[in-house]
Amino acid sequence: MNQLMVVNHLLVNINSVIGALFLLSAVVLMTQRQAQAVLRLFVRQSILLAVSAFILGWLHHSAELMIVGLITIVAKAVLIPQLLTRTLGPDIRSRRELDFIVNTPVSLLIALGMTVLSYFFVAPLLNGANQTIAVNLPVGLDVLLIGVYTLAVRREAVPQMLAMMAIDNGAFYAGIAITTSSAIVELAAGLEGVMVVLIAAILARTLAQRVGSTEVSELTHLKEGERIGEKEGESE
Amino acid sequence: MIIIAIPLVPTLAALIALLTPRIQLIRLTTVLGTFATLVLSMIVAHEITQRIRLTVLPHWIGVGGLSSLILVLQGFVALTAALYSWGYMKRVTSLHPQRQQQFYVNLNLFLASLFMVPIFLQPALTWVAVELTTVLSVFLVGFDNTPRALEAAWKYAVITIMGATVAVLGIFLLLWGLLTLHVSIQTWDTLKTAAPHMPVVQLKLAFVLIFIGFGTKVGIVPMHTWLPDAHSQAPTPVCALLSGVEVSTILYVIMRLWPVFEQIPGGFAQNWALVFGLISVGTAAFLMIQVRDFKRLFAFSTVEQMGILLVGLGLGPAGHYAMMYQLLTHAITKSLVFYSAGAVFLATSTLDIASVKGVIRSSPVAGTTLLFSGLAIAGAPPFAVFLSEFALFRASLMSRHIIVLVLLLVFVTLAFFGILRHLNHMIFGPPSHPRITLPRSVIWTLVIGWIPVLVLGVYLPASVHHLLTLTTLALRR
Repeated sequence: MNQLMVVNHLLVNINSVIGALFLLSAVVLMTQRQAQAVLRLFVRQSILLAVSAFILGWLHHSAELMIVGLITIVAKAVLIPQLLTRTLGPDIRSRRELDFIVNTPVSLLIALGMTVLSYFFVAPLLNGANQTIAVNLPVGLDVLLIGVYTLAVRREAVPQMLAMMAIDNGAFYAGIAITTSSAIVELAAGLEGVMVVLIAAILARTLAQRVGSTEVSELTHLKEGERIGEKEGESE
Repeated sequence: MIIIAIPLVPTLAALIALLTPRIQLIRLTTVLGTFATLVLSMIVAHEITQRIRLTVLPHWIGVGGLSSLILVLQGFVALTAALYSWGYMKRVTSLHPQRQQQFYVNLNLFLASLFMVPIFLQPALTWVAVELTTVLSVFLVGFDNTPRALEAAWKYAVITIMGATVAVLGIFLLLWGLLTLHVSIQTWDTLKTAAPHMPVVQLKLAFVLIFIGFGTKVGIVPMHTWLPDAHSQAPTPVCALLSGVEVSTILYVIMRLWPVFEQIPGGFAQNWALVFGLISVGTAAFLMIQVRDFKRLFAFSTVEQMGILLVGLGLGPAGHYAMMYQLLTHAITKSLVFYSAGAVFLATSTLDIASVKGVIRSSPVAGTTLLFSGLAIAGAPPFAVFLSEFALFRASLMSRHIIVLVLLLVFVTLAFFGILRHLNHMIFGPPSHPRITLPRSVIWTLVIGWIPVLVLGVYLPASVHHLLTLTTLALRR
């Protein structure tokens, strides 16, 4: 009995370490230039999410969370990278963003600000909450916010899409800790995540074929004040 | 059981469209399928007026007044969109029958996902249905495969999926609140009763995440950037569906959670709704003046109308009836406007306002219907939107929101003249394009679309009034 408690205590602490790594992965993902590096980070982040789901599943005796962990591994660490490399081919290896809209130090400062902000938001909720919630909720919210920021400043289609999935990871990282006994939501959403990426990948591919680039910053035709008569293809 | 059949019918139609290459058969099944869903949803609405609630699977699937109204609106616009697609898609994709098949498979799947949103009793399942509506409509938005359409589809997918993910964390927070109170059933109703026992901070955080998240897909300013693109680049029947009912369907999710958020002390949620509603109406009104693409003009009108609905939500119980009324009139009028705009597109093959002139001479049907449906959506009497907007103004006066009323009046007037200015340019003057006859199905759609706009413009049948009164129950604590 005593041994079990020691194991559980250890697992809770491991979960905290994973929380730190999870947050770190979001920050590094924000600063990476190359599409493939972003993908690699995303895979690692997803594995961290899955491990946290396994630990929480063990601690709360929740089979659903175990399945959530499995789905995360299969979908986000195996299927999505394969899908992306297959549909996008060499594009994912060669493309990199040469200049960021916002430079790295400023981005890091913003990420720091978001971290403080998300702790500030959830701090009143953590009184009396257990240690796993105290880690997962603020970190999850923070990764979500950093993801939104990353998505906003990215100019390449693939990193933008992966930032979108990183937001998903953040929401789920918080979700698995606070809704331990009703993980049916996560199950449905996990399966649905594969569909989202499939669609995004096909879309990015069509985009690459038709527009000739996966650089979304070139997607600026639709705005006010532009004459429709100026047909497509004429953009420099 | 009827309720479950509603999303199943379009799923079956999608299956048939997938299996048979005969385009005539596919068109027919789509029209008949959507007709069946409209009849079914009207039966459901009729039952609701007698029995207030219908439950199929307790805690899982059921319908109340608000959901049945949404179902009827979806059914109506689905039917008209299916009918419109018959001739419209034939003409715009004349050389590729296979593309038409793809279109119909996609359209039916999208319809199925739309019908799923209002029938679930659990917020989590509703969220999954909302995500499905995005995933299944992305290729409809990008259907034209032009760089512009793909750009719109990309923005639509990335921004709205991001929004949904933000919203899901809000839903998680609410479910957490239920768990800590040891409530194991996670429906709209249990959330409503549990809300007073949840920490205020938790409700606030959940509200902000859900409001921003789903608000992104409703097109609330400043998260609206994708909307004018997606709602103008998609093929016209899809535009009608997106602008007419999809946005309202997502707003429905916020409405279902409204009794929960209304309990946050200090009118927190109401103030957010008022402020963001007014910002949306104002921004859209100004942007409508300077658009150059007439489908975009009406897409911005959707942003404006969603803002008006939010204001109605924020006015509290006084504004709820008027808001539901506006929801109804917007759905029927906005779809009609897009059908008219599509008819003008068929007649001129351009979306550029500046290069279209004298439509009323080159295509009298398209010109007339665009003129009057444009007036109808702008809020001119004697059409339906005028009455509902008037009801909303009255509600804001009654609830003593004078500043809100003044701002609304200014913005709505501005939007009115914005629409009128562009219409005036397009419709009158010497014709810029040769005469053309419209496909018969397009004309029939316009006829069917005009019926409710005209009827509701002069009087409100007692049964509709009764249903609208029942819909406000969903917003009550």
